[in-house]
Amino acid sequence: MISSLLFAALALVSPALADEASAETCLKTKIWEGYNSGWAVRTATNATLGQGEHRIYLVTLYAGTEYKIMVCGDDSAVNADIVLYDSLGNEIGRDSTQDRDPVLLYKSGATDTFYIAVHATATKDGTAKAGLATAVTYK
Amino acid sequence: MLSSLLFVALSNLSACSEDSPAPVEPPRPVEPAGPAKLDLAALASAAENVALVPSPAEMQKALERAGIATGLSGLVADRTLKMDIENKDVIAVRTGVAMADALLTVKDAPPGKLTARLTLVKTGMTALGGGADIGATIDDINARITNNSVSREDLVKELDEIHGAIIPEIKFEAGERAVPLIQAGSWLEGSNLVSGAIVAANNETAGTELLRQPQVADYFLKYVAVEGAGKAPDAVLAQLQTTLTRLKEISSKPTLTLDDVKEVKAQTDAVLALL
Repeated sequence: MISSLLFAALALVSPALADEASAETCLKTKIWEGYNSGWAVRTATNATLGQGEHRIYLVTLYAGTEYKIMVCGDDSAVNADIVLYDSLGNEIGRDSTQDRDPVLLYKSGATDTFYIAVHATATKDGTAKAGLATAVTYK
Repeated sequence: MLSSLLFVALSNLSACSEDSPAPVEPPRPVEPAGPAKLDLAALASAAENVALVPSPAEMQKALERAGIATGLSGLVADRTLKMDIENKDVIAVRTGVAMADALLTVKDAPPGKLTARLTLVKTGMTALGGGADIGATIDDINARITNNSVSREDLVKELDEIHGAIIPEIKFEAGERAVPLIQAGSWLEGSNLVSGAIVAANNETAGTELLRQPQVADYFLKYVAVEGAGKAPDAVLAQLQTTLTRLKEISSKPTLTLDDVKEVKAQTDAVLALL
């Protein structure tokens, strides 16, 4: 009931692009499921990307806090990837799956700024645009 | 004897066959290549700031993790934030402060105080031209708080989501600067309460863990200093610019001392006092 209300509210205040809607719904479901195991959401956002394209998000991560970065792709997404970089551009983690719903867990030793790269590595037929919804959650 | 010779010969032949090249393994299926590593210039030039700023609830958790037992909710002051003013930038900052106060007190504030804070958020959103739907959502939440028909745990989730997922997506009539300035208000209030808690605990090390966020101060400063250029000077925005400039300097240090934390408290107090 509560999540339905918020989904509806989000849809009303921010009409998503058609190919982003299913990605957004998938992500919202995961966010709400995450609350049952202690995860809370900092930010959720979405993007439409062609194969090989990426979106970069700057994030501040607290020392000692566990972070879970989640991506949900729509039906046009075949393989999405998450890569995490530190403030100097060193790669410090990437998801290891070949799917459209990757997850990356990370706990920093120091409070600092990081870059999250979300990639549409493969899309349907290599030509489709994929809707990718991304959330930064923490506990 | 002959059979022995034959056995030795056959054994040698067998040994020869063991020395022959190993059979070629069938080719492994080629795995699709993952994304190539990006360099720092590519990362920095394309980075978006939508996820940059920690939420007040996240600040509270980090504070607890740093071993400071003081809950932030008890430090939230009762405020009268006027939303019926001309300057939309100031309304956005005030709305962010009200949102932070609601988030930080959602678990234990008396129903009347919590609904009053949420009503302030709604008034600010309306003044910024955030549309009727966010107002209706807050009205619904307030009705359930008043009727005691929602748990505080569920309210935490709902307010978290409004702050982190719904507000950043709203297209405000007041313009694109409304969202970062709402975030700035929430972050300033959170930083003020966190620095106050660190000072009260006399904790020498927590400042580095909890307040060292130069990129966040820089992000807000760009909106206040550059995107605010050409607008009529306002006392709140002038103080906000001074405060953010100093916070950027302080939080750029590799280590923050207790005196630095005290200055963060004083600087954020100076902005909040004008609200």
